[in-house]
Amino acid sequence: MSNWEILWASRDVFWQGFGNTLTIFSISAVLSFLLGSLLLFSMEGVRPRLKIPLRIFIDAMRMLPFLILAYLFYYGLPSVGIRMTAWQAGVLALVLYHGAYFAEILRGSRITLSSGQEEAAIAQGFSRPTMFLRIILPQLVLRTRGVMGNQLIILLKDTAFLVIITVRELTAAANSLSSTYFIPMEAFIVVIGFYWMISLALEQGIRFLGRIGEKRGFNNA
Amino acid sequence: MDGNAWGLLLQGAWTTAWISGVSILLGVFLGLVVALLRLAKIPFLDQLLGAYISLARATPLVTLILFIFLSGPTLGINLNRSTAAIMALTLNTTAFNAEIWRSAFNNFSKEQREAAMAVGMTPWVYFRRIMLPQTVITSLPNLVNEMSFLVKGSPAIAVIGIVDLTRVTNRISAVTYDPLPPILAAGALYMAMIGLLVWGQRIAERKANRLAM
Amino acid sequence: MPEQPEVSIRNLSKSFDGIEVLRDVDLEVKSGEVVSILGSSGSGKSTLLRCINWLETPDRGEIRINGERIGLQDKTQKPMSRRELAKVRTQLGMVFQSFNLWPHLNVLRNVTEALIYVQGLKKSDAVERAMAFLHKVGMAEKAASYPATLSGGQKQRVAIARALAMQPKVMLFDEPTSALDPELVGEVLSVMKDLSSEGYTMIIVTHEMDFARNVSDQVVFLEKGIIIEKSAPEIFFHSPRSERVRRFLELDKVV
Ligand SMILES: Nc1ncnc2c1ncn2[C@@H]1O[C@H](COP(=O)(O)OP(=O)(O)OP(=O)(O)O)[C@@H](O)[C@H]1O
Ligand SMILES: [Mg+2]
Repeated sequence: MSNWEILWASRDVFWQGFGNTLTIFSISAVLSFLLGSLLLFSMEGVRPRLKIPLRIFIDAMRMLPFLILAYLFYYGLPSVGIRMTAWQAGVLALVLYHGAYFAEILRGSRITLSSGQEEAAIAQGFSRPTMFLRIILPQLVLRTRGVMGNQLIILLKDTAFLVIITVRELTAAANSLSSTYFIPMEAFIVVIGFYWMISLALEQGIRFLGRIGEKRGFNNA
Repeated sequence: MDGNAWGLLLQGAWTTAWISGVSILLGVFLGLVVALLRLAKIPFLDQLLGAYISLARATPLVTLILFIFLSGPTLGINLNRSTAAIMALTLNTTAFNAEIWRSAFNNFSKEQREAAMAVGMTPWVYFRRIMLPQTVITSLPNLVNEMSFLVKGSPAIAVIGIVDLTRVTNRISAVTYDPLPPILAAGALYMAMIGLLVWGQRIAERKANRLAM
Repeated sequence: MPEQPEVSIRNLSKSFDGIEVLRDVDLEVKSGEVVSILGSSGSGKSTLLRCINWLETPDRGEIRINGERIGLQDKTQKPMSRRELAKVRTQLGMVFQSFNLWPHLNVLRNVTEALIYVQGLKKSDAVERAMAFLHKVGMAEKAASYPATLSGGQKQRVAIARALAMQPKVMLFDEPTSALDPELVGEVLSVMKDLSSEGYTMIIVTHEMDFARNVSDQVVFLEKGIIIEKSAPEIFFHSPRSERVRRFLELDKVV
């Protein structure tokens, strides 16, 4: 059997890893976007006391490597009695870490939004949450689509770190196949192909968002 | 944590620092080379470099490091861990830096070129004396930003057994049975390193803005 | 029973950073009346208009819409909750100098958005009502276009339809034509003129003298935050009581 045939015979292992990576990625992407939006909404809210701790949290996340956060949740927290599976610790770390980045990306664009639109919404009787959800957030997403797309790709790549805390994702699949059959080259070429595919699909999605944005005159994102 | 643990931790920090540092230096320079080669639009090479950049930007560092370290021997190349780590980090950061340099070159004003030609500069003198010094300043904030991304990605080298600032926390807790303090201490050291880069980025930005005016 | 004014403003004062921008402003607007507010730049016209729907919080004074207090609770003098405020505001429509359309929504959705998410209309009803008002301002054909593709005059007409669709009792206009190229001013003014003949109550900050003369029932002149003239247009434009207004009108003729 050639090396490629061995890989084909063990395609289930790849599919499983691919499925796990996609699941972890999708859940974390959705949740971290929601967290980022929520952080932004609370930071511009009425409680100034909330603002400083949130700011500190966001800055701290931006100055830490993702893996050290995953270490903290998986290896560190059990010593204070909080125990999570590798999967839970990994997803939680991804959500908190990238939620902070999403909040920062949205905030950067938020401060350049004209206040007139907000006033028009207030004059029309919108409540603050509805205004944020329907008037402000959609525009921020259209404006920041490029940076957001990059952040999603970073999130995707960060899922690979989870192999280090023993999550059975795509890179773990390649690693175990390569050590079982000693065919590292082929195994890793396949998974890198998978990552490339997902990234290209994400870029395509962003481009699609870009077309929506262009129709509305959001050209320079 | 005792003095011994702190000693180990600082050793880990040093490993992270020097491997990242070497990769950063190589990556900034190679990124410039790749950007210039792409600007020359040499057929085939241009597509090849484009594919490399797209691929390198999509590949997780952990995966890339495992790939290089494990498949090296099957090609008859025996890499030691540090070399494999530096190769992977450099391959990764070069792709990002190449795009930073390229966009700075593309955004460079044509008027300056005409002014330079008008006073009789050769293309090389123009590049070396007019274009490069300005692109260095305008790209620097983004380059420094990419450096902090590299440091944030550097724990990936732990996967091939290098005892960097992240992995050293496992070593320490294997002795102390309490992983929390070394992880928090390592986090603080990372913050110090990345904070330094963020601070450098601010200075670079101020310089770049002054040039833009 | 004497007719209750649609809008009543009493003793309204407002300062920014210690500088008084409005001082003891009194104004009553009856149902169906059109009031034009004139005055030089910085005299406080926009601030007055924005106080009426509480986009700015006045320091003193009270404002009533159809007898209903805006901004403060009548009994306790405490600030209204956001929800109460939003409810009173639905009686007021506002049109801005810079249109303030929402760029991510097409023309139709700019109008239906508040109908659906503030007034709670069913989507089909919202669309029906929105189309009726877009038709009124002559923008029905552009319902599917996005704001970025419209001319200034078209944008402002959509903004007017957006405000009208909420079916407010009073319309507030803050220099609705000042950001427009001269050739586009007419289309917006003609929409506003139609509204006045349909009996809408309107308060309009404007620099369009002809419009103020021909359409309004009352003309108000603000100077440094004080109303120094308040009269019918015939009197205002032909025999104003104050010297300052006379000079203002002279200047306008020269230009
Ligand atoms: N939010 C604010 N903060 C501080 N000062 C303000 C604010 N809004 C208005 N002002 C000041 O209040 C004064 C009145 O402003 P206002 O916008 O009401 O004038 P205006 O009559 O509408 O002028 P224009 O014709 O130029 O629109 C001006 O001096 C202005 O600088
Ligand atoms: Mg004004």
